[in-house]
Amino acid sequence: MSTAGSERAPARPACVLEARGVYKVFVTSGRAGRRVMTALRDVNLGVRPGEFLTLVGPSGCGKSTVLNLFAGLTEASDGAVLHDGRPIRGINTRGGYVTQEDNLLPWRTTLANVEIALELKGVPRDERRDKALAYLERVGLKGFEHHYPHELSGGMRKRVSIVRTLVDESVNVILMDEPFGPLDAQTRLVLQDELLQLWQDSGRTIVFVTHDLVEAIALSDRIAIFTRAPGTIKEIRDVPIPRPRDVFHIHEAPGFADVYDPLWNDLRAEITRGPEPSFG
Amino acid sequence: MVEPTRSIWIDDRVPGREAEVLRREAADTERRERSSRTTVAAWQILLLGALLAGWSGASGRIVDRLFLSDPVSIARAFWRIVADGSLEFHLRYTLTETLLGYVLGASSGLLAAVGTWLVPVAAPALRPLVLLAYATPKIALAPLMILWFGIGILPKVILAATFVFFVVYLNTMAGLGTVSGGLVNVVRVMGATPAAVFRKVVLPNAMPFVVAGLRITIPAALIGAIVAEFISSNRGVGYLINAASSRYRTADVFAAIFGLLIVVIAMNAGVSTLERRWLPWVTRERSPLG
Repeated sequence: MSTAGSERAPARPACVLEARGVYKVFVTSGRAGRRVMTALRDVNLGVRPGEFLTLVGPSGCGKSTVLNLFAGLTEASDGAVLHDGRPIRGINTRGGYVTQEDNLLPWRTTLANVEIALELKGVPRDERRDKALAYLERVGLKGFEHHYPHELSGGMRKRVSIVRTLVDESVNVILMDEPFGPLDAQTRLVLQDELLQLWQDSGRTIVFVTHDLVEAIALSDRIAIFTRAPGTIKEIRDVPIPRPRDVFHIHEAPGFADVYDPLWNDLRAEITRGPEPSFG
Repeated sequence: MVEPTRSIWIDDRVPGREAEVLRREAADTERRERSSRTTVAAWQILLLGALLAGWSGASGRIVDRLFLSDPVSIARAFWRIVADGSLEFHLRYTLTETLLGYVLGASSGLLAAVGTWLVPVAAPALRPLVLLAYATPKIALAPLMILWFGIGILPKVILAATFVFFVVYLNTMAGLGTVSGGLVNVVRVMGATPAAVFRKVVLPNAMPFVVAGLRITIPAALIGAIVAEFISSNRGVGYLINAASSRYRTADVFAAIFGLLIVVIAMNAGVSTLERRWLPWVTRERSPLG
């Protein structure tokens, strides 16, 4: 059900990001000896070009680990992780990465914080300045270019941290790990709306992690539901609500309940299932 | 290639593919950890060996033996002052000064900081005085200490204590200032009196700072004691070093320094042990001193 990217050039691979039979296990060495723990078990997931895909699942199910694999911050223990059909080796600099914390550099102004993404890739000063200013204007931060992060509100800082990933044109995938988690409910809605607008014009692909099912429905083309740890994908559901969407009244959109109820049933089963004996 | 690992137990119910991945990752981790341990140990031995070899090589060839001595002569000299009991005699004296000075300086620094913190106007009122005292090079006071307190153990203890006092005082003040308002408010609403707030929240919160102060002042206390011994003493390791160097017995000087080194390392280990026992909740990076 992707709207933005469905009519892309056929030469591109069918998936921007792909996980094939991915396992991720963690080995911890402590006083009590070495322990192993499976975080991801046989994860298979294809992210289509231009789509907005959300990962939901119980706490600790490995959703963030999947994002970290796509970002190249961690390596799969087994299986393949691909970006545009090529295995991801080392840090994936063609992905943008937005976390719960805004991770802005406190010693840089708003403008300089947005510019850093271009600076690190060697874009000339004037060009990066123009691009950064254009994006800041789009999210209503004109006039705050020379403010430091501590002088901005939480919502403003989040805007800066999102815009910072979009400003780099070589980035075609944005990975977002509960980006709106720490914001208040109203700011969240406003930012969800802004994110959709930024995304819809951009042709970028977004992989988004959240605990909030309403947020997932408001934003996504598809929603992947994870089982509890060791995480694997239980179900992938389409969100057939037409775009552009009104995130402020998404629960009134026709078909909302048809998406929400099965989603909640999938998730509830994972949250309430008794504890599985821990392996290893 | 998958090596079997001894330390990993994997449940029979884990599917074969997953069990294989788990076993492989565990083996990789074990191999990585073992090789990094080996690398570190090799470097440590290499660097220490290079120091000793460079020292031996330079001595008598590049630099006069009188200035450098050499590791073998120093080991011999060390063994001699251990065997004839002179190291023990002098070290006991220096250690007494150092420990007394350390305890005196640390406890008065701690109490002064707590006192300053409890009295609202004290900190700003004392600030110019503290700044003056902090800025004074304590080592310049050594001759005055001798003048005031004679040539016995007292001036050494007091000089060592001044070296410790300010660092512990300032560190404790800094630690007391870091308590979060939220933490205090939560226990106040539970009914904590101001004294209980201080005892149960503010002070424990400051402990990591206090311990850091205690750790960095160990060598400082020793410096205070040794410097005072240099100026006037007929015993102590400072005296031993002074006496040996005035007779150009360089190996003896180094042997005595080596004795001091053991003291500092032992005291540092003592503070680390106390820290692990009393402050197990502190999560920290491994200290550069191990």
